Amino acid sequence: MEQRELQILWVAVVAYVLSGVVAIFGVVLKKSPHRFVLGTLVLGTALLSVSLGLRWERLGHGPFITMFEVLASNVWSFGLIFALAYWRYPPIRGTAAVVMPIIFVMLGWMTLSSTHEGHFPQTFRTPWLYIHVGLSKVFLGTVLVAVGMAGIILLRRAGIGLSRFEKLPADERLDDLAYRFMALGIIFQTLMLISGAIWAQDAWGRYWAWDPLETWSFITWIMLAFALHWRLTMKSSPAVGSWMILGVFVFAFLTFFGVPFISESPHKGAV
Amino acid sequence: MSTEREAPLAAGELAAENPPPKSRLLALLASLRLTLFSLLLLLAAVVYIYDHEGEADATLPLVLPLSLLSLNLLAAVLSNRTFRRQLPLLVFHLALLAIIVLVALGRLTYLRATTEVVTGGEHQSLERVEAGPWHSGARDALHFESLGFRIQYKPGLQRDATVNQVRWRDEAGIPRTAEIGDQVPLVIRGYRFYTSSNKGFAALFRWEPQQGEVQLGSVNFPGYPGNKDDQSTTWRLGTEEVRVRLNIPEQLIDPAAASGFRLPDRHDVSVEFPWRVATLKPGESVLTPAGRLVYVGLTTWMGYNVFYDWTMPWLLAACALAVLALAWHFWRKFALKPWQAA
Repeated sequence: MEQRELQILWVAVVAYVLSGVVAIFGVVLKKSPHRFVLGTLVLGTALLSVSLGLRWERLGHGPFITMFEVLASNVWSFGLIFALAYWRYPPIRGTAAVVMPIIFVMLGWMTLSSTHEGHFPQTFRTPWLYIHVGLSKVFLGTVLVAVGMAGIILLRRAGIGLSRFEKLPADERLDDLAYRFMALGIIFQTLMLISGAIWAQDAWGRYWAWDPLETWSFITWIMLAFALHWRLTMKSSPAVGSWMILGVFVFAFLTFFGVPFISESPHKGAV
Repeated sequence: MSTEREAPLAAGELAAENPPPKSRLLALLASLRLTLFSLLLLLAAVVYIYDHEGEADATLPLVLPLSLLSLNLLAAVLSNRTFRRQLPLLVFHLALLAIIVLVALGRLTYLRATTEVVTGGEHQSLERVEAGPWHSGARDALHFESLGFRIQYKPGLQRDATVNQVRWRDEAGIPRTAEIGDQVPLVIRGYRFYTSSNKGFAALFRWEPQQGEVQLGSVNFPGYPGNKDDQSTTWRLGTEEVRVRLNIPEQLIDPAAASGFRLPDRHDVSVEFPWRVATLKPGESVLTPAGRLVYVGLTTWMGYNVFYDWTMPWLLAACALAVLALAWHFWRKFALKPWQAA
């Protein structure tokens, strides 16, 4: 990796870590350092954009191939989407205490991943790559925001940080807002599956073949549909809904960051 | 599936909105609990398919959950007045129903196959055909000619762009030419031909029997460079089975550098009869008791993946309609109560 890309990447990592640490301490100490948290989050995202942009320019393709690229681009989209939610919905800013540790895990994984160049296959040379990946990032980002609220509900139910989370809305309101983000999630995930099928048709001559990544994505979609219907049908408590949100996120996370790297399916472009 | 209200209704209002269906069976089929059960069944079927990847047909495990979901959707649309009041929700559920029906029709009528076409030759027949029981396409009327191809390789033998020139006659009989590739198919009567990673060399022979007509034919060697160390195949010449081997004394595709697929500058073929081995260069021949075999020269062949599914554009339209209707539904629903106040 070029020295400048790496330097900018590390400054971005520091900005994200600062943002997360200050957000967590803000909750613990019952302070409201929102401008600093949002500022460093935006700074980290902007710097990561520059670093990934330089890499894109150097390699001639976007961050779609290696584990490092996939993690870095998802840290970027997580940062961007959470920054937007943080900015637009002040009442849920305390959820940064749940969301930022998830981003920390990805940052740690990213910094441990090799920054080597991967082969950009011919099947990836299509606008559908950008559409499909873009939609998938919005899907995962919206579920992440819901996870932040679900995490607060579950922490409260476990009796953790009751007073520290008191500035956040009541569980029922968080649950309602989380449901809205999950509803956005299913729209973007459905679009992701459709765009993926269109791409697969012309990349591999079939729109659906039950390859591991397709199957896991569909499993995640079914779980998301189930979670939304469950909430509607069973009128369950916010805690039950929160567990379901976490379940969907875990499956989505495994689909994004596990399956592509253990499967030899065409999704890797190895054809 | 879901039957959400636009705004909270009191119990009495809800009852007036959705009076109980006359039939208990219809009520059961339309219930949201059945939707949940069907989704769980669908999940189990998908996990089963994943667990038995490549071992069994993926269609059968899906029949029960998708049939149940279809019944559930249909019953809900018929019995629940909410759908008549909320157009986006009705459109979404009808689109879902259409998707299930189209997927079922697609599985009954699809075709997947492969074929190999020698450069300068015409597509003859499909191989490794996998088709739905109701497939009745015009697969015998599929004719096209491969005019040659170019393939670029990146260092490490990484295959890059494939460009294949093809010629065919359209349904009006007008000759057409096009360049196709892995992602740009040739579409004839709904059948989509994509180039594949499977391609190689073909030996052209002329068979001059002592009795009968002269025949020109080709023998396709195994895919190259995947099988570059074993470029041999068996072939039936009259009543005898012979083995033909391609010998290339040079490195055609440099694995350490950017390169391209090409014919060798030097080569010969060994034809192994039961009684002798003849090594032939282009233009040379060998006499057999039944006639003369002339090696005309070396050319290439391209392997194609063939796919047919007439439901694809309709499926895409139904999916687009479903997702648009769902977005419309959520938009209306969430607009009733601003996000900041949620």
